[in-house]
Amino acid sequence: MIDGLLILLLFQFFGEVIIRLTGIPLPASVVGMVLLLLALLLEAPFTQRVAPAAGGLIKHISLLIFPLGVGIVLQWHRYEEYALALGVAVVLGTILSMIVVTLMLKKLLGGKHREPTSKPAGRGGDHAD
Amino acid sequence: MLINLDQLAELVHTPLFGLLLTLASYRFALWVYGRSNSLPIFHPFLVASIPVIIVLPLVNVDYEEYREQTQMISFLLGPATVALAWPLYRQLHTVRSVLKPIIVATLLGAIISAAIAVGLAWWLGAPPEVVGSLAPKSITTPIAVEVVKSTGGYVSLAAGAVAITGIVGALAAGPIFRLLKVSDHRVKGFALGLVAHAIGTARAFEYGEKAGAFAGLALGLCGLVTALALPWLWPWVAQHLG
Repeated sequence: MIDGLLILLLFQFFGEVIIRLTGIPLPASVVGMVLLLLALLLEAPFTQRVAPAAGGLIKHISLLIFPLGVGIVLQWHRYEEYALALGVAVVLGTILSMIVVTLMLKKLLGGKHREPTSKPAGRGGDHAD
Repeated sequence: MLINLDQLAELVHTPLFGLLLTLASYRFALWVYGRSNSLPIFHPFLVASIPVIIVLPLVNVDYEEYREQTQMISFLLGPATVALAWPLYRQLHTVRSVLKPIIVATLLGAIISAAIAVGLAWWLGAPPEVVGSLAPKSITTPIAVEVVKSTGGYVSLAAGAVAITGIVGALAAGPIFRLLKVSDHRVKGFALGLVAHAIGTARAFEYGEKAGAFAGLALGLCGLVTALALPWLWPWVAQHLG
């Protein structure tokens, strides 16, 4: 757990350093995520130990988020005027995206369905959402 | 006696109060979610918000103060975003054989879902800050609240829009898949993860491990692509929305 937290903070710090050095307009944590992904793919030592901390944080991501989300109600006066635009864009927009994306995926993945899909059974286990 | 009561009332203005309220609300929400057999409409994001929204006005703590009280929790969003590298790494292994169409699908899908949300909100007359808050609505929340800073949007609106997107996407997925006659679990999972991020991914696991793995992959890749592209593209888009 401590090892994992250490790795996460360290890579976030790397992200922060890179952003300050280069001035690229990206969130430091996203840069940290890319760096950690690369480190994992390159099988850098110790990086696998990130698992428990990463799993724990991701499992309870709603806890980290909803204190921000309550602002939508508590600051409703700010959004009131655009309620219709918001409602349509979020609800209808999502349904529309779902339809278009599904159709696109059927085209893109559908063609390959017969050929190389015989993969070994997936390693079950710690799928975090 | 009166002085003592005043001192007691002061407690609501400490981080301890905000953190306790937050954690207790979340615990309650987890219980409700479990009892509902993980129905998307009872997602902890929604249910946990309710006690907070009721209690804060009662004790005269405004949203800005609550945000300050709970800074410790918000700080963890940074490490949580870095942590997304882990499931992404795990799932890249399971889908190596279809990696190329998946990358194409991610790029197109990320553009489609952002463009539809931005286009609709703009068309209905929302101002740039509101439109900007919706651009990252299909990506996982920790990344979305970071990215929204680059589009000049509101963090709270982005967080809410992301959550509602996830819930609507997870609810609409079943009927849409039936309507479009989708039987391929990879398509189902990938669509859910792409459009409805973590909530969609949880839904995808109900179709099985394979759908879940594809959803998790889509969630990670879509978040990554959007986070990498949006800060560069947004100034150009904003200019055209005028």
